[in-house]
Amino acid sequence: MVKEEHIIKTKDLNLWYGTNHAILDVNLNMKPNKVTALIGPSGCGKSTLIRCFNRMNDVIPECKVKGQVYYHDKDIYGPGVDAVEIRKKIGMVFQKPNPFPKSIYENIAYGPRVQGINNKKKLDEIVEKSIKDAALWDEVKDRLNDSAMGLSGGQQQRLCIARSLAIKPEIILMDEPCSSLDPIATAKIEDLIGELKKNYTVIIVTHNMQQAARVSDYTAYMYLGKMIEYGETAQIFENPKEELTENYITGRFG
Amino acid sequence: MSNKKYQLPHFTFSKKYFKENIIKILLLFAAATCIIIIFSILFFLVKETYPLPTDIWSFLSGERWRPTSANPQFGTLPLIAGTLLVTLGAMLFAVPLSIGSAIFISEIASPRVRAFIKPIIELLAGIPSVVYGFFGLIILVDWIYKGFGVPTGETWLAGSIILGIMAIPTITSVAEDAINAVPRHYKEGSLAVGATKWQTIRKVVLPSALSGITAAIILGIGRAVGETMAVMMICGNSPIIPNPIWNVFSPIRTLTSNLGIEIGEVPFGSGHYHALFGVAVVLLIITLVINISAVYILGKIKEKQMALGKKKKKDWISADLSYKIKKYIKHALIGFFLIFVYLIAGLLLTAVIVLLAIILSFVFKKLSEKNIQKISFSIITISIIVVLCILALLLGYILTNGMNSMSWEFLTTPHTSLGRKGGIVTALLGTLYLALGAIAIALPIGVGAAIYLVEYTREGKITKIIRSAADLLNGTPSIVFGLFGFAFLVLFLGWGKVLIAGQITLAFMIIPTILRTSEEALKSVPQSIREGSLAVGATRWQTIRRVVLPPASPGIITGAILGIGRAAGETAPIMFIAVTFSAIEPSSFWEPVNALSYHILVLATEIPGQEAKIAAGGAALVLLLLVIGFYIVAILIRNYYSKKMKW
Repeated sequence: MVKEEHIIKTKDLNLWYGTNHAILDVNLNMKPNKVTALIGPSGCGKSTLIRCFNRMNDVIPECKVKGQVYYHDKDIYGPGVDAVEIRKKIGMVFQKPNPFPKSIYENIAYGPRVQGINNKKKLDEIVEKSIKDAALWDEVKDRLNDSAMGLSGGQQQRLCIARSLAIKPEIILMDEPCSSLDPIATAKIEDLIGELKKNYTVIIVTHNMQQAARVSDYTAYMYLGKMIEYGETAQIFENPKEELTENYITGRFG
Repeated sequence: MSNKKYQLPHFTFSKKYFKENIIKILLLFAAATCIIIIFSILFFLVKETYPLPTDIWSFLSGERWRPTSANPQFGTLPLIAGTLLVTLGAMLFAVPLSIGSAIFISEIASPRVRAFIKPIIELLAGIPSVVYGFFGLIILVDWIYKGFGVPTGETWLAGSIILGIMAIPTITSVAEDAINAVPRHYKEGSLAVGATKWQTIRKVVLPSALSGITAAIILGIGRAVGETMAVMMICGNSPIIPNPIWNVFSPIRTLTSNLGIEIGEVPFGSGHYHALFGVAVVLLIITLVINISAVYILGKIKEKQMALGKKKKKDWISADLSYKIKKYIKHALIGFFLIFVYLIAGLLLTAVIVLLAIILSFVFKKLSEKNIQKISFSIITISIIVVLCILALLLGYILTNGMNSMSWEFLTTPHTSLGRKGGIVTALLGTLYLALGAIAIALPIGVGAAIYLVEYTREGKITKIIRSAADLLNGTPSIVFGLFGFAFLVLFLGWGKVLIAGQITLAFMIIPTILRTSEEALKSVPQSIREGSLAVGATRWQTIRRVVLPPASPGIITGAILGIGRAAGETAPIMFIAVTFSAIEPSSFWEPVNALSYHILVLATEIPGQEAKIAAGGAALVLLLLVIGFYIVAILIRNYYSKKMKW
C-alpha cells in the first residue's frame, strides 16, 4: 500500500442540528495507521464530528452539513456518494455497547451477511478472526451461539469492535467506547486499540484526557464546535500552543 | 412579646384523615369497577344460557341454526365458521397493508409526513362501524354484484374487505409502537457495518419488533371478531357454511350478527333465548382468549424492555436448534399456504405461484442491495397509499352523498313517513343524550380508578389485575355489552327499553378508554411536584386535587372526549336496550330514544326505497362529522398541551 499523507481530511466543515450550529469551520487532516483522539468538554461537538466521518448523522432528522470530508481523495458528502458504501470502509463503535439481541456469532456475521457473504465456512473464518482480533476469543469461543446480551459490558464492547472489524474496514471510529465500562474493561479496550493501529486507522472520541494521552498518536482539541488545536499528542499535552487548550489540559475548566 | 409557649403539634392522626380514608375507599371502589363489570358480564351471560335447549356438543358442532322452525335446531358451527372465515379474509389483506403502513410511518416517512399521516390513520379508527356498514352496503356490495356477476354482493368477501379496513388502524398503530420501541442504537449498529436501510429494517428492526407486531395482529383479529354492525349489514346473514368452504361469494353469518339480528325479537325464556346467550358466551370466550394472549405478549415485551441486557438465563434449547426449528416452521407454513391455494384455485395456479416465487427469488439474488431497497420501499409506500385512498374514497362518498339531503330543516325537524321525509332531530338529540349520559357515569369511575392506580397503590398484583380487567373490557365486543345490558337492566331489573339503560351500558364500554388516558395523564405529572406538596404538609388527597389533577386535566379531558366519540358512534350495545325508531323526543330517562347510528341502520336495511337511502346518507354524514369532530377536538387538545407543557 502506498502510504498517503492523509486518510481523512475535512475542509471548512460546518454542521447544524436544526438551528443549532454544532460544528464550525473544522479543518483537519488525519494520518493513516495512527490513533487520533478528539478531546474537549461535553457538548463541544467531538461526537458530532466523528459521526460525520461515516455519515452517521444522516440518521438524525434536521441535520445539515456544509463543507467537505475527504476519505482518501473522495468527498463523502459529494453528490452521488452512497453512505452505505462509506460505512463498509469506515466502521464505528458506539458509546454504549450495542450488540443486537442475537447470538454472538450472528452479531459478528451480520455485517458480512448484509454484504452478501453467505458461505458458512467463510463466515466461520471471518467470525473467528474478528473475535480474535478483538481479543475476545478465549472468553467466548465455547458459547458463540449464546445470546450476546449475556456478556458483560466490556465483553459486549469488544464484541462491537469485533463486529466492526468483520467488515474489514480501513478506519474504525470510536465514540467514547469506554465511557460505560469499568477500569479493568477500559484497560483491555485501550490495549486493543494499540494492537488495532497496526492494521487500521483509529479515530477515538474521549472525555478522558489520560486515555487520550495513553492511546493516541495525535490529538485534536475542540471547544464550542471549533477545532482549537491539533497536533502530536505529546506536543498537545506537554507544550500546547493555544491558551484554551492549556486551560483544558491543566484542568482549569472542562 | 407574648409569653405564650409555642405549642408542639400532636403528631397523631387528626380528624381530616377520616375524609382521606373515605376518599380512598371510594377510589378503590371505582378501581374495582372494571373487575366487577367483567365478572357480571360473565355471570349474566352464563346464567341466561342455562338451560341450553340442546346438549353442548350439538350446540357447538351442529351444522344447522334454525331456531324458529317447527323442529328447532341450534347448531352454531356455521356461525363460528362464519366468524373465523370473515376474520381470516379480513386479515389476509389488512395485515400486509397495516405492517407496510407501520413501517412507512416509523421508518421511512419524514417527520412532517409522519405528523400528517398518523392522525389520519387514527381518524380511520374513529369512523363509526355503522358508517362503514352503510358504505359497504351501498358501494362495495354493488361493486361485487356487478364486478363478479354473482347473484348478490352481500357476501363473505364484502364483509372481509370492510372488516379489514376497520382493523387497519388497530394493527398499524400497535405495530408502529412496536417498531418505534426498537432502540435506536440497534439501528445505528447495523448501519455502521454498511447495511442498507432496508437490510437494517428487515434483519434488525422487524425481528426485534416481532412480538409487538404479533400482538398487533392478534388485537386486529379481536377487533374483527367482535365487530357487529358492518358485518350484519353486508354479509347476507345466511347461517350456512360456504360450499365449497373457500367460496368467498357465499353469504355468511357471524356470531355477532346472529346476536344483532335475533336478540331483539326473541321471546324471553324460550329455548331460542337461552341459545342466543350461549352464542354470546362462545363469542366472549373467543375474544377473551384472543385478548388475553395479546395482553400476555405485550406484557412480556414490557418485562423484557425493563430488564434489557440483564438476562442471564440460559435458553432451554440451543440457538442452533431453535434456528433449525424456525426454518422448519417457515417451510411448513409455506407448505400449508400452497396446499390452501391448491384447494381453492387448483393445480394450475399453484404451479404458477411456485414458478413465480422461484423466478422472483432468482431475480432478487441478482439485484443489488440498493435496488432491493428501492423495490421494498416502493411496495411499502404503495401500501400506505392504498390505505389513504380507501379513506379518501370512504370520506368522499359519505360527504358527497350526504350533502344531498343536508339542510337546516333536515337537522332540526323530526322524521316522517318512516324516515323517508323530514329530518333527524330526534336521532341527533338521542345520540347526544346517550353519549353525554354515558360520559357522566363513566368519567368519575374511570378517573377515580386511574387516580387509585397511580396515586394510591404500588405497582403490583392489584394494579396488574385491574389493568388486565380494563384491557379485557376494552376488547370485549360491543354486542356483548348490549346483551349484558339486555339481560341485567332491561330484563332482570325490569327497566325495559329506556334511555338510562343505554347510558349505563355505554358507560361500561368506555370506562377502559377513560381509565387508560387518565392514567397516562397522571403518570406524566412528575413525582417531584407531589413531593413538593407533601413536604409542606398537604395530605395525599389535597396534593392530588390541588397539584396533580390540574396539570393532568387536559389529558383526562382528551380521554373523555374520545369516550364521547366512541359512545356516539356505537349501535350494537344500544339497539335492543335503549333505542327505537321514534320521532318523539324523550321527556325523561325512563323512555326510549332514537339514535343516529340506529336511524342509519333502520333506513339502510329495513325501509325500502331510494328516499330512505338518501336520508340514511345524510344521517351518516351527520354522525361522521359529529364523531370526527369529537376526535379532532381531542387530538387538538392533546397536541396543544403536549407542546405547552414540558416538565
